[in-house]
Amino acid sequence: MPKRVVVIHGPNLNMLGKREIGIYGGKSMDDINGEVAAEAKHLNVTVEFYQSNSEGELVTLIQGCRDAADGILLNAGAYTHYSIALRDAIAASQVPTVEVHISNIYKRESFRHTSLIAPVCIGQICGFGSQGYVLALRALMEEKLDPWLP
Amino acid sequence: MSSRKFLVISGPNLNLLGTRKTSIYGQGSLEDIHQGLRQRAAELDVSVECEQHNSEGEIVESLQNAPGVFEGIVINAGALAHYSYVLRSAIGATLLPCVEVFISNVHAREDFRHQSVIAPVCVGVIGGFGKKSYILALEALVNLSKS
Repeated sequence: MPKRVVVIHGPNLNMLGKREIGIYGGKSMDDINGEVAAEAKHLNVTVEFYQSNSEGELVTLIQGCRDAADGILLNAGAYTHYSIALRDAIAASQVPTVEVHISNIYKRESFRHTSLIAPVCIGQICGFGSQGYVLALRALMEEKLDPWLP
Repeated sequence: MSSRKFLVISGPNLNLLGTRKTSIYGQGSLEDIHQGLRQRAAELDVSVECEQHNSEGEIVESLQNAPGVFEGIVINAGALAHYSYVLRSAIGATLLPCVEVFISNVHAREDFRHQSVIAPVCVGVIGGFGKKSYILALEALVNLSKS
């Protein structure tokens, strides 16, 4: 059975390609999803894509991954930096989750330097634009991530 | 052999990989990581030079000598990531794309590891995926300088 990976885009990522292109690049969310889908095909995994601006909907989505998904790629947008609810949902899901950011958050405002979700994710990839999602998918395919789980 | 060369630098204590705290850093040795990198580099039609230094000054010299030789740098600065402003300056001075990697998820560990002083001068950060962090960083760099 192919692995099932759920890709979740958080708030304002539906605006990709239209807002602050200097920071986030000119690609739309659909462009990025297309690149991830192509890599997923190559890796023989199934992927599903979701986007929500609402924190509560993201919590529900992540909860739904428990026992249903083999991995989550999560770009939680600005919620990354303050949502304890998302952190709890990730921990509760028990699904290996990779945190992705399009920009290098450490080059930006200091409030973006802290991620509340990072400690409950297996790892973080930031700064590589759409490529970050593709790299994150490959990271999830690593057979033996266990030694590095928090 | 491709003329595209990338430098991979591992900092202090990474020579001990596979022998210390294997629950955090995994079983593989640094040489295993270097072999994996050379193999992936060959597949990507590039070459890598892999170095390890315990001494901060040696890493600075290596970074200073990188421009004109290498197209990009993968760096796991180990504990230096959290306090070495010298490394930060040296990375910035190379004007080369640099990717910061960590084997472990530093955010799941002690508070003092949550901050990297070199991250702001790097293109991006990849951490938490064991040996694979290095491979993903190389892939990121190769694609980056291609586009």
